[in-house]
Amino acid sequence: MSVDAPAAQPAARRSALWHDLAVNVVSRLGVVLAFGLMFLAFTLARPHTFPTVENMKSILTTAAPQMIVALGLTVVLVMRDFDLSIGSMVGLADGAAMAMMSYHHVAWGWALALALALGVGAGLVNGFLVAVLGGNSFIMTLAMATILTGIEYAFTSQSTIFSGAAPGYVEIASTKSLGLSNQVWIALGIGAVLWVLLDATESGRFMYAIGGNPEAARLSGIRTRTLRVAGFVVVGLTAAVVGILISSAGGGYTPNPGQYLLLPAYAGAFLGAACFRPGEFNIPGTVVGVVFLGTIQTGLTLLNLQTYLVNLVQGAILVVAVLLSLAARRRG
Amino acid sequence: MNAPTPEETEQAAGQAALGARAADAVGAAREPFIVAEGLVKRYPGVLALDHADAMIVPGAIVGLLGKNGAGKSTLIKILAGVVQPDEGTLRIDGEPVRLHGPLDATRRGLAFVHQELTDVPNMTVAENIELGLGYPKLGGAFVDGRALRRKAAESLGLLQAPIDPGAKVSQLSIAERRLVLIARGLATSARLLVLDEPTASLTDEEISHLHAVLRLLRDRGVAIVYVTHRLQEVFDVTDDVAVMRDGRMVFEAPTRQVTRAELITHITGHKEMVTAKRWRPPAGERDELLRVERLTRRGAVDDVSFSVRSGDLLGIAGLVGAGRTELARLIFGADRASFGNVLVEGRPVRLRGPRDAMRAGIVLLPEDRRYQGAVHTFSVRKNITLPILDRLRAAPPLPVPSAAAERRAARTLIERLQIATPSPEAPIGTLSGGNQQKVVLAKWLESGASIFIFDEPTHGIDVGAKEEVYRLMIDLAAAGKAVIFISSEFPELVAICNRVVVMREGRLVGEVEGDAITEAALIEHCYAV
Repeated sequence: MSVDAPAAQPAARRSALWHDLAVNVVSRLGVVLAFGLMFLAFTLARPHTFPTVENMKSILTTAAPQMIVALGLTVVLVMRDFDLSIGSMVGLADGAAMAMMSYHHVAWGWALALALALGVGAGLVNGFLVAVLGGNSFIMTLAMATILTGIEYAFTSQSTIFSGAAPGYVEIASTKSLGLSNQVWIALGIGAVLWVLLDATESGRFMYAIGGNPEAARLSGIRTRTLRVAGFVVVGLTAAVVGILISSAGGGYTPNPGQYLLLPAYAGAFLGAACFRPGEFNIPGTVVGVVFLGTIQTGLTLLNLQTYLVNLVQGAILVVAVLLSLAARRRG
Repeated sequence: MNAPTPEETEQAAGQAALGARAADAVGAAREPFIVAEGLVKRYPGVLALDHADAMIVPGAIVGLLGKNGAGKSTLIKILAGVVQPDEGTLRIDGEPVRLHGPLDATRRGLAFVHQELTDVPNMTVAENIELGLGYPKLGGAFVDGRALRRKAAESLGLLQAPIDPGAKVSQLSIAERRLVLIARGLATSARLLVLDEPTASLTDEEISHLHAVLRLLRDRGVAIVYVTHRLQEVFDVTDDVAVMRDGRMVFEAPTRQVTRAELITHITGHKEMVTAKRWRPPAGERDELLRVERLTRRGAVDDVSFSVRSGDLLGIAGLVGAGRTELARLIFGADRASFGNVLVEGRPVRLRGPRDAMRAGIVLLPEDRRYQGAVHTFSVRKNITLPILDRLRAAPPLPVPSAAAERRAARTLIERLQIATPSPEAPIGTLSGGNQQKVVLAKWLESGASIFIFDEPTHGIDVGAKEEVYRLMIDLAAAGKAVIFISSEFPELVAICNRVVVMREGRLVGEVEGDAITEAALIEHCYAV
């Protein structure tokens, strides 16, 4: 349909151009704009405590584990797969590493390697069940979550571990470099790697193709199974990293430590999908999404709101931010 | 879409039985049902409708023709209330209206049967027919299944369609599913029925039944708009024709007053249409590129053997369900064969998936562009470069595609196939059907394949685009490739193939070569017992 635009009506065309531009900006940057407004609101409400360097650092450090999980999750979400076992994989890595060091006095390097290997193994099993055997990713990973938590308890007997973390292990999460916690650097490093993977490499393009139309992708010669399995392995690996960071930061283990990460990680990734490239999960979007959520959390805490209000406001902000970019996209 | 005036129809009554009946059915009441004036619709970079006019009169079947992208779909979407015109007016029964969504259109008696099957396959026929009408209730809350089936049976009865209202739609044939969709339209007591390519993938018998049904509805005073690319059907069933081009209505006339050549001229906009000639491979020995030995997949393909040489343009004829698509998918590794071999240049190929087939030099253009061909979330460029991405690297060992190389490759192919797109970065979904098909085709041309399988490549695309696809297949054969062309439209196989094999019930039942390829020969093989 390459019909020439009518020669007349340049004014109408110009106004349409402005309209297009406005729609474009709001749909791509709606979440970022909402983030900016919220930031301004918190700054005005708490000018002495909110907009400080220390507070920003603390927001980033708190958000780091969620960020790492959400980044891994983005890779499978791009291919329209879900992984609900992330919380359990975090717990398994955490519990296994701590149990090894505390109960069996294994060198911390080995404990760390075991945790990572368990993450990769869990990811492989998830991938096999979903991509090779064709199970529904929602159900399969939900079932796997139960199994993995079972394995976690087999390592730890479901009891809290208070001591036994090697000093070198504890340093991983608690050391700072260039003024920022290692956790933040690790999150940013993983973000950079996955950003390159998804946006610059062939595999990334293929992953997006699988998400767009899996059958067309397969019929274009793309190894859809391999890539989907790889996606689950990435999630397993990032979850294991988070498990290590949590136990390293706390120097101990509490049963089922990863469960609280599940919802914020999904919320961050979905918020990110409303950002930059509306409707598509993307790494920069996920980063913004998670930091956005972390900022809301901290900001509301600084306002000394009652817990129920924090929940209400947090949820409402999420809904509004996503609707904003959705509405803009529809009108475009 | 100007229907003949009553006077004209009366005058012609002696010669044209159809027109006479149409006039009788509605008597003198020939007030236009819908009048559209000066409709304009703009999309980013595209003027889809450019002051288009249309008039729809009850009790007549109008054939709406035009190339892909001529504006037919946009006009229909406006009637359906799916999109709003930027300019122009729409009148129903003389009243200016603005249609607020599909429900509004339904309430005003406008019913649509889209090209894609828009039914819900896992529900029953009755549930589908009454969908959106509000099911009859028992005790105010529960669906009254018996009343539901009875109402559905009434609609089906109108169509004289022997379909069980209690059957699951997923168990019906494509033709039956189309009838169910028409019944759904009728259940809303439609005054206008718009059918978009309703005969795609129907057999001749099913088509003539559908046409009989349409004539029946026409005689009851329903206005029918029939969108098609098949000119034969225009002459078979329509009373009037309307041709759109470049977003305008360019030609309207009673069908019996126009010739095929005239219609083609109006559709394409130029007088002469180059018709592809039968491909004749060069004389002498040609290498065998593909050999299929006893290929079998239970329930679909039964013991099929044939071979294709370099420079062959081999047609595979057959009726829907004969196993042609299934055979193509086996050769391409999209499905697993239960038995048999595929040999490329004499060497057996282990086909665990399409990737193996591609490595061996086999590519497939799938039948179903929407679900198997295009990645809708991608731009034209990304769709085109998908299978050849590893040859467009920025720094070759690194698996990182170069944006510049991709754009170059995309531009070359866009130019070569004359794909009408505002830019390589346009989302593929914004292109017309024919241009989407060309994109899906383009992605294989630079893949270095030697064996090309085209499964219904001209399905649902306009006359001009069809010619381009024929030319492309002939060019490939001339370049020494092996080309397999699957089609349900025998005239096109007859026109260009140098060999045609016929499939029936999963088996290869006949083969004709050269000048022995005639429509009659193919039909004979298809139906012979």
